[in-house]
Amino acid sequence: MLGEFTRSLGVWSYGVINLVHILGIALLFGAILILDVRLLGAWRQIPLAVLSRPTTTMAQIGFLLAVCSGIPMITVKSTDYIGNPFLLIKFPAIALALLNVWLVHRSPAWQAHRVRDLTQYESRRLAFGASLSLLFWLTAITAGRMIGYW
Amino acid sequence: MTRLFSATLCALLMSAPAFAHHGWGGQEEKISDMTGTVVQGVSLAGPHATMKIKVKNELWDITLAPPARAERAGLKEGLIPVGATVTVRGNRSTEPGRHEMKTIYVKHGAAEYHVYPDRE
Repeated sequence: MLGEFTRSLGVWSYGVINLVHILGIALLFGAILILDVRLLGAWRQIPLAVLSRPTTTMAQIGFLLAVCSGIPMITVKSTDYIGNPFLLIKFPAIALALLNVWLVHRSPAWQAHRVRDLTQYESRRLAFGASLSLLFWLTAITAGRMIGYW
Repeated sequence: MTRLFSATLCALLMSAPAFAHHGWGGQEEKISDMTGTVVQGVSLAGPHATMKIKVKNELWDITLAPPARAERAGLKEGLIPVGATVTVRGNRSTEPGRHEMKTIYVKHGAAEYHVYPDRE
């Protein structure tokens, strides 16, 4: 069905898929940035538990959109990308970013933020995770944008 | 603080030279013509329309305009059959051993397709 839909878009299909990819990244990174900047110490008057739910949900939706549009974009002319070094930066960066998400979410500090205020040590742990998150996602987005310029 | 940061970033970006769209970077300045036989007809999938032609035993990747633009120039899938003789004009890749041309014009028999008339 997705295939039929994209075919019906004809010459605009690549452009539309690309649009979905950008919207997905905008949602993903926008939400992540707000949460990470909060974890790094901005807007302390907003309780973390209030921010964490909407930003995490939005980031998940954005990631899903980016994956669903990314697969057709890379498969349409997959041989064109052989030897493109930016892909070799982008996908490991995404893997590291996801690993970081997994590690942060299972950390005691993250588990605790929903039920009580965090200790200074716990806040610092989460701030460290947030800086890694920004590093990995920005690397993935930068490398991804550069693929077409290689 | 936020406003100062935004203003600085904006000024920095605007002062950067205007970069061209990707693709014409690693190409020759010179426009050249090639005549060959079609190995793979026009495809309108992907970011750019493409075809493959054989020129003196070399397989050339012919990169055309984005699909919508190629179609507006009259270049549709299936119009030029495999085996047909075509002449293409454009800028060849400067990379040694890479047979690729960013193509601005295709001629097939009496039919002419000006996909980038402003570059001719």
